[in-house]
Amino acid sequence: MYKRTRFYDFTYYNFIGSWAWILHRLSGLALIFYLSLHIWVINSLTYGEKTFNDVMTFLNSPLFKLLEVGLWGVILFHAFNGARIVIVDFFKGSLAHKKLFVALIAAAFVLWALGSFLLLRHAF
Amino acid sequence: MAKIDIHVNILRYRPESDEKPRWQEFAISVDDESTVLDVLNEIHWQHDGTLAYRRSCRSSICGSCAMKVNGRNVLACETPIHRFGRKLKIEPLSGFQIIKDLVVDLDPFFEKLQRIKPYLILDKSLPDKEFVQTPAQLEQIGESTLCILCAACSAACPSSWPNSEYLGPAALLKAYRFVFDSRDDGADQRLEIVNDKNGVWRCHTIFNCMEACPKKIKITEYLSRLKLKVVENSL
Repeated sequence: MYKRTRFYDFTYYNFIGSWAWILHRLSGLALIFYLSLHIWVINSLTYGEKTFNDVMTFLNSPLFKLLEVGLWGVILFHAFNGARIVIVDFFKGSLAHKKLFVALIAAAFVLWALGSFLLLRHAF
Repeated sequence: MAKIDIHVNILRYRPESDEKPRWQEFAISVDDESTVLDVLNEIHWQHDGTLAYRRSCRSSICGSCAMKVNGRNVLACETPIHRFGRKLKIEPLSGFQIIKDLVVDLDPFFEKLQRIKPYLILDKSLPDKEFVQTPAQLEQIGESTLCILCAACSAACPSSWPNSEYLGPAALLKAYRFVFDSRDDGADQRLEIVNDKNGVWRCHTIFNCMEACPKKIKITEYLSRLKLKVVENSL
């Protein structure tokens, strides 16, 4: 017999549900990465005021503003899809899961656009 | 009916000579109203008699011919080829070991089914004539009894692919079917079995099972109800 254990079957068609799941996992990993980075950056406080201020000035560059906009998107996706999963599992939402996905992600997008505007207003 | 020319790619595996599965292409002419099973039969009968695949009832009730066609799990016998155009890509179900060509080893699948005790468990004595079940009680489990155990759902489940220990949607659906059966007294036993990291909590509501089910059973919905029941039961 031939054993085909696969981490993920990339040839299988991805429906809305599977995209939501894949993106949820990826955004979760991204958030873990961000959180570690965040703690590491905040750690510069222990090297005194000057180091911290230098780091903060560096992080105020337009590149990091753009990354923040991306981070805001990742947070919103993870939060809103997380809410969808809770609704699906515990509030009888499974039959409407596709509509829920579209509606919640649309809401997340509006918030993302709004937040991005506020973040970038003074950046450039 | 008119004849059309199609290209069929089949993932072949012969245990006696192949180290790993390989693709083989067949260019054949079939009726445009053929099903995937008709195509396989045509190849088996006219082109290559060594092609192995399971089929039995050819009317989507035995659950033998589930396979992956163009990236989706379907029953070969009920799926018309016009859904896919002129190119077919046929593979055995994912997540199972391949015995030969399109035939996979379903033993683990049925072993998991046995684990949730797929039969009525009775504490009370049998009624004199029959169990009385109201239409509402039947309604609750009606759709979940339609499962034909074709394994299309479990083989479509990304939680099952890397983890052979996960009970999978088919076994969990069967657990739902008995837990919510008004005649059954074995709910506590079954809820204990499914309340496990490789039980109902490994279901991440990806909905691939529901998309794959040839009987259109709302599997994920029932698994969610089962999760709620597990939570209710442990409070």
